[in-house]
Amino acid sequence: MLKKEQNELVTQTGPGTPMGDLFRCYWLPILLSEELPENDCPPVRVKVMSERLVAFRDSEGKLGLIDEFCAHRGVSLWFGRNEECGLRCPYHGWKFDTTGQCVEVPSEPVESGYAKKIKLKSYPLIEKGGVLWTYMGPPERQPVEPEWEFCTVPLNQSFTSKRLQECNWLQAMEGGIDSSHVSFLHRGDLNNDPLFKGAAGNKYNLADSKPVFEVVDAPGGLYIGARRNAEEGSYYWRITPWVMPCFTMVPPRGDHPIHGHFWVPIDDETCTAWSFDYHPVRALSDNERNAMKDGKGIHVKYVPGTYRPLANKDNDYLMDRAAQKAGKTFSGVEGIGMQDASLQESMGPICDRTKENLVGTDNGIIMARHRLMRAAKALRDKGELPPGLTVDHMKVRSAAVILPPDQHYKDAAKEALIAKEGVRQASV
Amino acid sequence: MLLSESARVTTAQEAKFRIQYPNSKPRAVKVIALDTQSAKLVDEVSTLPWNGAAFFKSLSFDAAKGTNVKAWLNDLAGHTADLATEVANADCVVVISGAGQDAHSVSLIAELCTQHHKTLVALVVPQDAARDDEIDASLRILRPHAKMLVIAHGRDYIEAMLTALRA
Ligand code: FES
Ligand SMILES: [Fe+2]
Repeated sequence: MLKKEQNELVTQTGPGTPMGDLFRCYWLPILLSEELPENDCPPVRVKVMSERLVAFRDSEGKLGLIDEFCAHRGVSLWFGRNEECGLRCPYHGWKFDTTGQCVEVPSEPVESGYAKKIKLKSYPLIEKGGVLWTYMGPPERQPVEPEWEFCTVPLNQSFTSKRLQECNWLQAMEGGIDSSHVSFLHRGDLNNDPLFKGAAGNKYNLADSKPVFEVVDAPGGLYIGARRNAEEGSYYWRITPWVMPCFTMVPPRGDHPIHGHFWVPIDDETCTAWSFDYHPVRALSDNERNAMKDGKGIHVKYVPGTYRPLANKDNDYLMDRAAQKAGKTFSGVEGIGMQDASLQESMGPICDRTKENLVGTDNGIIMARHRLMRAAKALRDKGELPPGLTVDHMKVRSAAVILPPDQHYKDAAKEALIAKEGVRQASV
Repeated sequence: MLLSESARVTTAQEAKFRIQYPNSKPRAVKVIALDTQSAKLVDEVSTLPWNGAAFFKSLSFDAAKGTNVKAWLNDLAGHTADLATEVANADCVVVISGAGQDAHSVSLIAELCTQHHKTLVALVVPQDAARDDEIDASLRILRPHAKMLVIAHGRDYIEAMLTALRA
């Protein structure tokens, strides 16, 4: 349970809110590279943390992320002409470069220098791993660029997708660290989904549906370990890292690619769920890549031409009661990604946490909220920068390992939880 | 377009109609410090307002009265309570241990939890100077018994967790 004020604190990320300021300490993924595929391509509207922006790639390939609305009379620059190193408003021809600087006001003499006095707010936009990232905080605090393993491996080893999720970011993110739902909600998919099936570890998952948990404070966030019985008194551990504020990874299965998510607020009632899959040491096979494109694993199928899932609330997520009754899917919704999204959206646009009744096994979620609130307050009251900004905090991995009973995963799997170039993931 | 039922009911507008009534009864959370280091923390936390959480800071054993070991809990006011009764009446039992402190009494508590089908949550709260091997030693003792084992740095997490559990 959270008190009303606490719930507001952790869910609101608009400009000037404490959690919004916290999010504005980080580089966040906001667009796929494919959305700005070439120089002078059409600009893209993007809303991040309740700020409406427009992104474009200029004639020289420079990336820009600027205020969506023209400084003259407020037309959306999404209608703009992306030409000759700038975005030109189609209404009266004012033109802006990638930094938001106005470079042309056709009605005024160039010599007057009028254009120099006009500048739209802009944020840096960089490309890494097929993803465009922005940093929306104070320039003097801009951290090192993203070093998450999924965006540093060669592109043929990774696949990243995004989908619109129609609820607050926190209830979506909490699903990513809630290891106890897997034995219920996704139980039908472990042995069927092409990106999950066949792993030796699956049998422990299915045989022992009452895992026990160990939650450990980590410098960048948390580790949540779920322990199940394996052979001869040994334990099968699945370890999920969470890095502040919104990065989670799913423990791997066999030699399947590892995956994880970023949960980025669009506004307080919608977020972008980023889903990445990568293999640390090998290229993805055609079958794997095709399955991902086809919406398998943690990815989804889309309404054509959009990033909105094909199964969405307008069609009741294509609910299949017969599949639910037959146990083919536990909730009646198909696909792991939409099983999560449908239930999280059903909580309402902003989940009312004053009404929930948490249990002991929800400690991962309790601790993540606690860390978020503590970090947001430390930033607000003392100007203290939050965790998750340094390379070592970003170089994390999930792991699935078998350990003797007296060993703690934090030590025994220490190396497995660090992303190291050229080293295979620890997986069962 | 004709909206589906899901689309209609997940709007902010409709969220306002979530009915307002208590959906749970207060649960009895028993918080037991396993050593003197954690007793101090429990002492501090217990002064906050709680919904009936009970705090105990030491265990004592009494083997003289027959074959069964009888364990007594001492609450913060110095009253003595029977461990078996407290566990039987609990909805959730939380034990707190400092790193590297003697946590062996957990096995007796865990036995009673199993007997009465209660969930045992164990928190290791290391002091700043605690060494890794001390934390490990505590985990090794607690691991076989806890459904949820947490390493939490700082007293404020005990508070946060108990608040979240409506203790
Ligand atoms: S059982 Fe967890 S939300 Fe309903
Ligand atoms: Fe899930």
